[in-house]
Amino acid sequence: MATYKVSYVITGSDHPGAILSMRDAPKVGDIVKLGNDIFEVIEVLELMPPRGDFHYFHATCRVNPSAETPDSNLQ
Amino acid sequence: MDLHNLLQDVEIFNGLTETELAVISQICQERLVNSGETITKQGEPGGEMYIITEGFVQVSIGSGSKERILVNLGAGQIFGEMALVDKGPRSATVKAIANQTVVQVIRADDFDRTCNQNTHIGFIVMRNLASDISFKLRHRNLSETR
Repeated sequence: MATYKVSYVITGSDHPGAILSMRDAPKVGDIVKLGNDIFEVIEVLELMPPRGDFHYFHATCRVNPSAETPDSNLQ
Repeated sequence: MDLHNLLQDVEIFNGLTETELAVISQICQERLVNSGETITKQGEPGGEMYIITEGFVQVSIGSGSKERILVNLGAGQIFGEMALVDKGPRSATVKAIANQTVVQVIRADDFDRTCNQNTHIGFIVMRNLASDISFKLRHRNLSETR
């Protein structure tokens, strides 16, 4: 089963970002909850080539206070 | 989910055989950590590496008004690995930020002995540790330029 290691960086917020292992690859438009805040993924890039079942992504997010139902509930 | 299955989803063990994963599981010790509890403190000696199997931790440097939060890490991520590689003091403070955070602890002595006894385990884990440090550095670089 593939694992997607994702580096989340937040623009326009003091949130420190996060590194998480996900079951699905991130994509632009995803809504994620990090702690008490909800963010929208606005950019995704492959950070490093995949090795074995592991894939490496970076996702840039922005604050999205209007979103109510996150696709992923993260810390 | 048992420890063996959990370890299969941890990047630093990517490439190990089932038998080798069983060897690793024998040197893991589970620790339950509550939210707010400090696991490692910057500047202190470090003789253990940690694998997060449930919950979240916060990585920070400095203290008091000079504290700077660097990143949050979730399940499947590791921390404390630098002390195993360079034997230096802890480079950051790590505390749990979710209740019922579960970490697997690997002592440096057990880690070194296992890598020496089975050089395939040693090669795979060290290669993956380098990859993990590289990923964190790339994350840090992107965070700095946001």
